[in-house]
Amino acid sequence: MADMPNDFWSGWIILITLISFIGLVWLVVSVYTAAPPNDAEVDHTTWDDNLKEGMNQAPLWWFWMIFAMMVFSVFYLMLYPGMGSFKGAFQWSQGGQIEERYRVFNDEFTELRAEIAVMPLTEIQADAALMGSASDLFSQNCSACHGYQGQGQANLFPNLNDDIWQWGGSPENIELTLRNGRIGVMASWEALLGQEGVTNVANYVLLLGSPEAEGHPGQARFNQICIACHGIEGTGNPLLGAPDLTDDDWLYGNDLDTLRETLRGGRNGQMPAFGDKLDNAQIRLLVAWLTR
Amino acid sequence: MKYHGVTLHRKLENNIGLLIFGILFISSIGGLVQVLPSIFQESLKTATENSHLYSAVELTGRDVYIREGCHVCHSQQIRPLLAEVERYGPYSRADEFVYDRPFMWGSKRTGPDLHRIGGKYSDDWHRVHLIDPRSVINNSIMPAYPWLAEWEATDLGDIQKKMSVLRILGHPYTDEEIAAAPEEIAGLSQLDALIIYLQVLGTGLAEEYR
Repeated sequence: MADMPNDFWSGWIILITLISFIGLVWLVVSVYTAAPPNDAEVDHTTWDDNLKEGMNQAPLWWFWMIFAMMVFSVFYLMLYPGMGSFKGAFQWSQGGQIEERYRVFNDEFTELRAEIAVMPLTEIQADAALMGSASDLFSQNCSACHGYQGQGQANLFPNLNDDIWQWGGSPENIELTLRNGRIGVMASWEALLGQEGVTNVANYVLLLGSPEAEGHPGQARFNQICIACHGIEGTGNPLLGAPDLTDDDWLYGNDLDTLRETLRGGRNGQMPAFGDKLDNAQIRLLVAWLTR
Repeated sequence: MKYHGVTLHRKLENNIGLLIFGILFISSIGGLVQVLPSIFQESLKTATENSHLYSAVELTGRDVYIREGCHVCHSQQIRPLLAEVERYGPYSRADEFVYDRPFMWGSKRTGPDLHRIGGKYSDDWHRVHLIDPRSVINNSIMPAYPWLAEWEATDLGDIQKKMSVLRILGHPYTDEEIAAAPEEIAGLSQLDALIIYLQVLGTGLAEEYR
């Protein structure tokens, strides 16, 4: 109401509300105080020979019900906003209500949250109640992508239960990942490698770590291009989010076709940032849960 | 004879024209008090720093959202209640919907509210989730929309005409933006457009309200 072009509409609302209210009072009072009409004097419409309206007084409990509602309305309009821009004796507002709720909420939990935010991870992990909260947080915020048990899914979202961490598995690194998100970019190499090159490198990557890899036709190209991120041995680089290519853990899949697709089109893995959505205590709890 | 409610009732009952007028008059009072003044309420129509003007692609994604009836199961309004703000993010503000014609508030939450869905999940997640919701949320009841990946964004009608009409209604699109629109949506699938729309939802809210 505060943003109306002028006071006219506030007056308009008050006026119509009052007129309606007075009209209702008049209607109810006049119906109940009217002398009971003489049934014989009233010119009734008659249907089907003998069907006609009677002139009984409306039941009295209706009157008391309507009266009670009117009394309620009067008090309501005095206490709460309703009469135009009049804010009511309670000064109630939606925004004010949620601020008040947050004040109570913060009074109750600020201290505990501050404590949790700096609590040693082992202490959190030893506390079943806190770990329960952490598990709930995971379900609410992480499970849609990483699976309801953090098992990873859809060949897009990594398993969080194993020891393999694309961006490093130390608590500090995990916290950084949670707060700022990550973008794991693998460039497209189709233009540089050509179709045959893509197949060769894909085959070489499958052999990485085994003796047969030595001298494979894909090796030269791999050493030219891929080692910049994935390392000379192909063991990856957590600083760049470049995964280890020698282990058995594959995010997008390790059949030849998938590898060729990865090499051809590149990959763009996104972990959204949760720094704005979660507070320090929540992030601490999640780090504890993920490193348990 | 004293005039009172009973005689008024009798008069109305015997005169059908008067009865119709009476019903219309009484039922219009609510609208006169609640709806009419809000038409003049500045905050509902004035663009602010919180208002986001949809790009051609986002507008197309919004049309997919409307056509597939997403608003039937998903609301786009976070109420100012502690539980909702804790779950979905900052509550919705009137000026965020200035460029929503029609608004997608919805009325029922079979699925979660989507007003602050932007940035919550990655594009890839939306892709697999829209094509097969069960592949990421094993007990989801959301229908799958696999055809969106095959249908082209350009099939959704004349984007330039849409933007021109919205400009008449006060959306400040420039001639250049309208001219470039077909090129922007060319080559995109309807799934791409929808994801781009979802990723911008609720992200226009200024820092101070977060």
